[in-house]
Amino acid sequence: MSLGERLIATGPNSYFESPVERREALLGILLILPAVVLIGAVILYPLAYNVYLSFTDVPLNPNQSPQWVGLSNYVDLLTSGQFWSAFSTTVLFTVGSTVLSTVIGLAVALLFDRQFRGRRLVRGLVLLPHVTPIIAVAFVWQFMLSPLWGSIPSLLADLGLYSSRVGLLQRSGTALPMVIVFSAWRNFPFAFLLFVARLQAIPESMYEAARIDGASAIAQFKDITLPELRGTIAIIVLLRGIWEFNAFAQIWLLTRQVTTLPILAYRTAFANFEQGLGAAIALLLFVIQILLVIGFITLFGEDSV
Amino acid sequence: MSWLTIIAGAARESASGVRLLRQQVRRDGRLRRLGFYVSLGLTLLVSLFPFYVMFITSISPDDAIYANDPSLLPEAVTLKQYTVLFSSETFAFTSYFLNSAVVAFITAMFSLVIGVIGAYSFTRLEYPGNTIIRRGVVVVYMLSAITVVVPLFKLISVLGLVDTRLGLLITYTVSTLPLTLYMLWNYFESIPVAIEEAAMLDGYSRVETIFRVIVPLSLPVLVATFLFAFKIAWNEYLFASVFLKSQSKLTLPIGIEQMNANFSNVWGQIMAASFLTTLPIIVMFLYLEKYMVEGLTAGAVEG
Repeated sequence: MSLGERLIATGPNSYFESPVERREALLGILLILPAVVLIGAVILYPLAYNVYLSFTDVPLNPNQSPQWVGLSNYVDLLTSGQFWSAFSTTVLFTVGSTVLSTVIGLAVALLFDRQFRGRRLVRGLVLLPHVTPIIAVAFVWQFMLSPLWGSIPSLLADLGLYSSRVGLLQRSGTALPMVIVFSAWRNFPFAFLLFVARLQAIPESMYEAARIDGASAIAQFKDITLPELRGTIAIIVLLRGIWEFNAFAQIWLLTRQVTTLPILAYRTAFANFEQGLGAAIALLLFVIQILLVIGFITLFGEDSV
Repeated sequence: MSWLTIIAGAARESASGVRLLRQQVRRDGRLRRLGFYVSLGLTLLVSLFPFYVMFITSISPDDAIYANDPSLLPEAVTLKQYTVLFSSETFAFTSYFLNSAVVAFITAMFSLVIGVIGAYSFTRLEYPGNTIIRRGVVVVYMLSAITVVVPLFKLISVLGLVDTRLGLLITYTVSTLPLTLYMLWNYFESIPVAIEEAAMLDGYSRVETIFRVIVPLSLPVLVATFLFAFKIAWNEYLFASVFLKSQSKLTLPIGIEQMNANFSNVWGQIMAASFLTTLPIIVMFLYLEKYMVEGLTAGAVEG
């Protein structure tokens, strides 16, 4: 009988079978308490407070309390073109960078699915885009892409592919693709790591059997590797989808030409000082996020959480 | 779009790399091995090229950086960008660096201590709510900072913690906690309970067991966890950009951003500052190599 069932069956007094068990349980609660209190104060309480703020108008003066305005923030949002354009930009960005980083991650993982000298070192180096400070890599990309001094535009110009004096990050038409490429560069190592771990777990005997049957390399990939990777692909796509949807710094520090929902929330709350409106955007982001998390849990079962 | 072509090329090449692995007996093995090394080289080129540009720019004199025809090889080497960075009156790089180091170090310490006792509680002690809290931690790990930053800023202002290190320390500790807890409980689960039972038979209490048995047994993982928490705090941008106001408290990401916003054509110094910001993380990850899979993919690896 689990503890929970015992609690329901017997009530709290006779809940624990012995004083030792009771003491252990108390100690357990005591030890987890700091973490729970902190997470509660810094994440759960703000989330609830955010719901309230999203129905108010927050005055600039922190000593004045927010004014209840009902649904007006949401009405403003859902009827504004800015919100819907940010929404579609967010979806494009999320789908683009998730797909690109997953595909590149898979390709590089397949490349690493063999023994070669220096494999561990090379694996470590491939991870660098993912672990280094966002500020540093965002600025070096800005510099590389800058129209006057950047190495990429000049390389493209030499190849005759690009001739504009307007920067790739300054034109809204090219800024979004650039941000997607940057995100894919930064996050493909995450997919790569998960794929490498999973590929190692596929028994070599499956491939041997396929070879005896005369299956070509493409057929082996399609009929063995891909089906075996299906769960990993789903996990990566969902997690990356959740994170890309809420990505802030990796877009904001690269260009100001791409406005996704997180950036709209940040601008609204901290540049225009409309914190109630900002809270409403943040709440919509949270709802979408939770839907994705629930999707994650239903797809992989509670045990994966 | 040449990046895309390169990437697509790398993808194609890597598929052939696998075929190579599976069919090494084929006669054209040598050609395939060449294909493998070419695609490996391309992967490394794409991954590391920005770091190369960062470093080369940081040691180039200004006239080479702003030349009409950018060159990929340094024509002259100078440390001027770094000396300007450290002697600048308007740009307090040293202070930003120290602020970042202090905040990241204390965050990682807090996170580690709270994480060790919390993770021990999850793995060894039974109480109602254990599983629910544990799952809650994983869900919290998936949430992003942007969804709480607006209300958090309001709370921080009410508590008078705007522009204080304490405000950053608290929020950073919480953002690192889910990962810390996850990494530690994964490891604690692999330590045989029998070791602790023996210690308790010798008269150790539970709390003594944690610090005298579990902690010494987990030292490498504790170091890895500490460094991951340090990295998160060191790299953090969003909270710092909203919570900090005064120059003397800024951390590196905000400091570098302000340098970019307030001055034009200081790419040499920005790249030097970026390189110095990146260096500790690179050194750290060379050491962490063994733990990278767990730390970077926590929550996504089953088991």
